[in-house]
Amino acid sequence: MADASVVGKEYPPFQWEVERGKIREMVQAIGDKNPIYVNRDAAVQEGYKDSPATPTYITVPVMWTNVLFKIVKEMKINFARVLHGEETYEYLQEIYPGDILTGRMKIVGMDQKSGKAGSMDIVKVEFTYTNQRNEPVLKATTMIVERK
Amino acid sequence: MSKEVRFGDIAVGSEMPALVKMPVDHMQLVRYAGASGDFNPLHTDPEVGKKVGIGQIAHGMLIMGFVGQAITDWIPKKCLKKFSVRFAGMTRPGDTVTVTGKVREKADGNKIVCDVQAKNQKEEVLVAGFFEAVLP
Repeated sequence: MADASVVGKEYPPFQWEVERGKIREMVQAIGDKNPIYVNRDAAVQEGYKDSPATPTYITVPVMWTNVLFKIVKEMKINFARVLHGEETYEYLQEIYPGDILTGRMKIVGMDQKSGKAGSMDIVKVEFTYTNQRNEPVLKATTMIVERK
Repeated sequence: MSKEVRFGDIAVGSEMPALVKMPVDHMQLVRYAGASGDFNPLHTDPEVGKKVGIGQIAHGMLIMGFVGQAITDWIPKKCLKKFSVRFAGMTRPGDTVTVTGKVREKADGNKIVCDVQAKNQKEEVLVAGFFEAVLP
């Protein structure tokens, strides 16, 4: 449901504790053998404080806290017809095991497009994350598409 | 693993080493669902894919993960400043995904902009995008 009035809407912050085991699960599922993600010593040797979160780790809090589903439900988007259109990350600081992240979600865009495959609604959501020291660590933009 | 690349060694047009992944299989999708928390059954239950009419497909974020792997195999994670992709195609169990990249731009402050893409064995683009990194 394309509804331009919701652009700018912000949601209550959500929290997420970064676990070493979850970083390991992610790299094992991806098949990424880079030792820095699972071996603290290897990471320290390369100049990190600990094993850093991977480039796409931040999808974990989004999915496990179900925050994105709030929007899908609220906007009566048919989940079975939702596709992930785009994903963008800006890395401001490393995220490490033990970090407590606070995520803030905001709708930043809403659009309707028609193409050869029919019309679709496009929703753009922005996430900003800070750590337990209130330092910004990451900004993410997710674009989801509902095929009509 | 990924510490030798310096700004001075890279030219516009330089290629990121290609990453050829093992074929995506059902078990990998189940594992990725559990790890990421994305339990959309479209990815893990072939019957659901059939019903929706597109068949079983991989999580787009898994393929972005492959691209992230290729990037941080090449340049250190801590040098990565921005990473953006568009999900252009559907990945299916059995597909062999290859990630490639090419430096598009070198800028002030030792910044590089590099185009990246993931393709399947039929050369169809699955994911296309770019990253920005600041190198030593």
